[in-house]
Amino acid sequence: MPLSAYLVVSAILFTIGTVGVLIRRNPLVIFMSIELMLNAANLSFVAFSKFLDSADGQMFVFLVLTVAAAEVVVGLAIIVSIFRTRRDIDVDDMNILRG
Amino acid sequence: MLNLSLWVLLLPLLGFIILGLVGRMLSRTGILTVAWGAVGLAFLCAALSFLSMLGTHPDSARTVDQSVYTWAVSGTFQLSFGLLLDPLSATMLMIVTGVGFLIHIYSAGYMEDDPGFWRFFCFMNFFIFAMVMLVTADNFLFLLVGWGLVGLASFLLIGFWYQRPSAVAAAQKALVINIIGDFGLMLAIFLIFANYGDLNYQAVFGKLNSTAVGGGTLVAICLLLFVACAAKSAQLPLYMWLPDAMEGPTPVSALIHAATMVTAGVYLVARAHPLFELAPGVLYTVGAIGGVTALFAATIALAQLDIKRVLAYSTISQLGYMFMGEGVHNYASGIFHLTTHAYFKALLFLGAGAIIHSLNGEQDMRQMGGLRYKLQTTFWTFLIAALAISGIFPFAGFWSKDDILGAVLSQASATGNFWFYVLWAIGLITAGLTAFYMFRLFFGIFMGSYRGATGATHTDEDVEEETPHHGGKVSYFNIHEAPSVMTVPLIILAVLSVIGGFVGSFSLIGLPNWHPLAGFLAPVFATSETPLGLEWISTGLSLLLALLGIFFAWRMYGRGFQYRENKNPLYQLIFHKYYVDEALSLLIVRPVLALARGATHWLEGDALDGGSRGIAWILRGTSAALRRVQTGYVRNYALAILIGVVLMIAYYVVVRG
Amino acid sequence: MLATQIAFFVLAIASIASALGVITFKNAVHNALSLILTLLFLALFYLQLGAMFISIVQVLIYAGAIMVLFLFVVTMLASEAQDTEQHDRIPWQRWVASILGLVLVGALSYLLFTGTVTDKNAMATSANSLSHAVNTQGNIEAFGLALFHGFAFPFEVTSLLIVVAILGALVFGRKA
Repeated sequence: MPLSAYLVVSAILFTIGTVGVLIRRNPLVIFMSIELMLNAANLSFVAFSKFLDSADGQMFVFLVLTVAAAEVVVGLAIIVSIFRTRRDIDVDDMNILRG
Repeated sequence: MLNLSLWVLLLPLLGFIILGLVGRMLSRTGILTVAWGAVGLAFLCAALSFLSMLGTHPDSARTVDQSVYTWAVSGTFQLSFGLLLDPLSATMLMIVTGVGFLIHIYSAGYMEDDPGFWRFFCFMNFFIFAMVMLVTADNFLFLLVGWGLVGLASFLLIGFWYQRPSAVAAAQKALVINIIGDFGLMLAIFLIFANYGDLNYQAVFGKLNSTAVGGGTLVAICLLLFVACAAKSAQLPLYMWLPDAMEGPTPVSALIHAATMVTAGVYLVARAHPLFELAPGVLYTVGAIGGVTALFAATIALAQLDIKRVLAYSTISQLGYMFMGEGVHNYASGIFHLTTHAYFKALLFLGAGAIIHSLNGEQDMRQMGGLRYKLQTTFWTFLIAALAISGIFPFAGFWSKDDILGAVLSQASATGNFWFYVLWAIGLITAGLTAFYMFRLFFGIFMGSYRGATGATHTDEDVEEETPHHGGKVSYFNIHEAPSVMTVPLIILAVLSVIGGFVGSFSLIGLPNWHPLAGFLAPVFATSETPLGLEWISTGLSLLLALLGIFFAWRMYGRGFQYRENKNPLYQLIFHKYYVDEALSLLIVRPVLALARGATHWLEGDALDGGSRGIAWILRGTSAALRRVQTGYVRNYALAILIGVVLMIAYYVVVRG
Repeated sequence: MLATQIAFFVLAIASIASALGVITFKNAVHNALSLILTLLFLALFYLQLGAMFISIVQVLIYAGAIMVLFLFVVTMLASEAQDTEQHDRIPWQRWVASILGLVLVGALSYLLFTGTVTDKNAMATSANSLSHAVNTQGNIEAFGLALFHGFAFPFEVTSLLIVVAILGALVFGRKA
């Protein structure tokens, strides 16, 4: 399959992730959508690695994976600490900075 | 040659500074010491310089240009503050400091009850300083500085009793009209600089023949200079401020508005005469305006009731004479009349001041009369002054006035131009009118019976406006002569009014080589001698008209002044000073005030305030609108980021496509 | 060739469908399970693209560890009310986001389809190329060579990053 096919799939997955970030109000689902976006980017990298015949793409994926893991750890810790005592978790409750 | 002109300039300035800073705390003696000392020493320096000049013999050595301070250097142009001492400025200095000193002495008596005693002398010293600067400056720029400063001094002194609204209004009027003159002078200076590249008198006059300047430009320069002279010397059409300036104390009227400041215009024409010689049309216009003003003012003086107003219009009239003389190329005669006029006009004002002082502020002629035996010194000195101004032989005014009339007649016969004859006739008629109104004033004050404390008051409305009553009425028993500090200057000026004319030309009485003043001023301007025959005609006729004037005045008022309300329209016209002030108010003052009100309301209120309020409104509205972007929802902020990303990608799509 | 193409299409559709599932299910657990599915399909994509190590790591780490963590938190923060999606305070965002998403995907697809593709054959014969390393030494070895020869420093830095993340989690986890 041509490179652009993989890239289009990646683009679609990325967009789905973006829309998910904007539409959902559950912070965990938003976080999952962010993970989806990261994975779409990983797909692009691997596709380029194959088509440019270079290992660099896979290296990047490896590092993204690691960073994503660290990010999930800290991010979930934050979410837990913010929303621990609430009954309904809704990201729109964090609106103190409204002008 | 001993040149003390710098001291003459700086001593009154020092007096002004000292009195300005500490005058409030000094005792009366202290104030007088500083004030009299400053002007007295200045007069002494002026006299010493004058005498030394008389002793300097090659006449060309009598002109000294002393540069005091180099002010600005720009390329090849250098402007320095310097003092020019030559016969003309020496004459002016003697008059300014001499008469000024006498008036300072007099003021000690006149102003003795005034709480602003120190302020008065402070301003008077400032005036002397400014006038000396005007007269001794050696370039046009510092002439302008002096010109403006005397205007300021006049403003301060006219409005001296600043709690009186009429005084303040008069001071404002004087300043506004003088500023018109200052503006003309400024424009003239710009033109002179643009065309001749320099402002120093000697430099400019030296370049006159070598630099080709268009005739139109010369006419413009001279006309603008004359605008300044007309404003300062109260000629048509800028004379209106001088009668109102009588709101100031009488010594001020004597010094500034009779003897010195108003003569600045005459001085300027004399000083700039090389320029005027190149534009003879303007020069003759100057003479013509002088003549017309002389006649105009004399007619108004015929019907005035306030003694100071009569003298004010008389001053305007005599100034017209001076310009008439200068207008026919005879500058020396104008300066001669300036000096004699200083003597007798100052004397008239100081005498009027003595009368007003004795009557506790009364200035209305209808409340006077029969003061002959109560105010003896004043009576005799006033009589001498009246005879002098009327041009009766052998008093000072006779010589100078006939010099002028003779010059006009000789110009008339030399050119054969009909209008010069008309000018001469105007001069003669004015001489007659001068004698008449002067003696009307004299008889009205001193003859007949006293109309004061028991006199009837007239409730004619016209009269109420014309003569504001300043003081209470004094009963005849309580009138006494002024103190000697006031009468001694009167006597000195009276002596001068008698002998002051003897420096003129004695060709009439058979001594054709005796003309000291003209000879003294010869290095500055050459004077042509009037043919003897014409001189006899002119003198004879003017003397005759003056005597007729006195005779008619005696017929009508010899037994005292009887005021009768006169409904004759011609009388009403001159009584109301030709309604000039009313016309100006209607034509100029009201439209300007309406314009100002409109500008305040529309320009400032709506445009400027509204504009700034509008900008604030726009900003507030914009910020209110923009504030709605800050919803506080994180998702909205993420949406904003996405919008940015989409825009960037869309850009690439568009560019690629 | 036909098999790979079919495989590609199947995988593509599957992964897109499960991705849509991630964002649409109401129950957070369903969302997490959809995400796991998506990650598995992506691992299959990587296999198709010849990145063996990466696909295994994706399954082990991403699907195995990270998503388990997610599920822990989901169950910890399970909300009492089942439908948290009612009472949306900014309803218009839904539509704007969807439209923008469509615009984004359209623009990206357009750019991708009209873009130029680098010819991979030009690089195939280079001694440094990946396929050369794969052919001579095998897949995992090639990956390891590239990692420890070119990317050793970032590798070490990531270990530091992980330490920091652990510390962060500890700090947040403390009661106070």
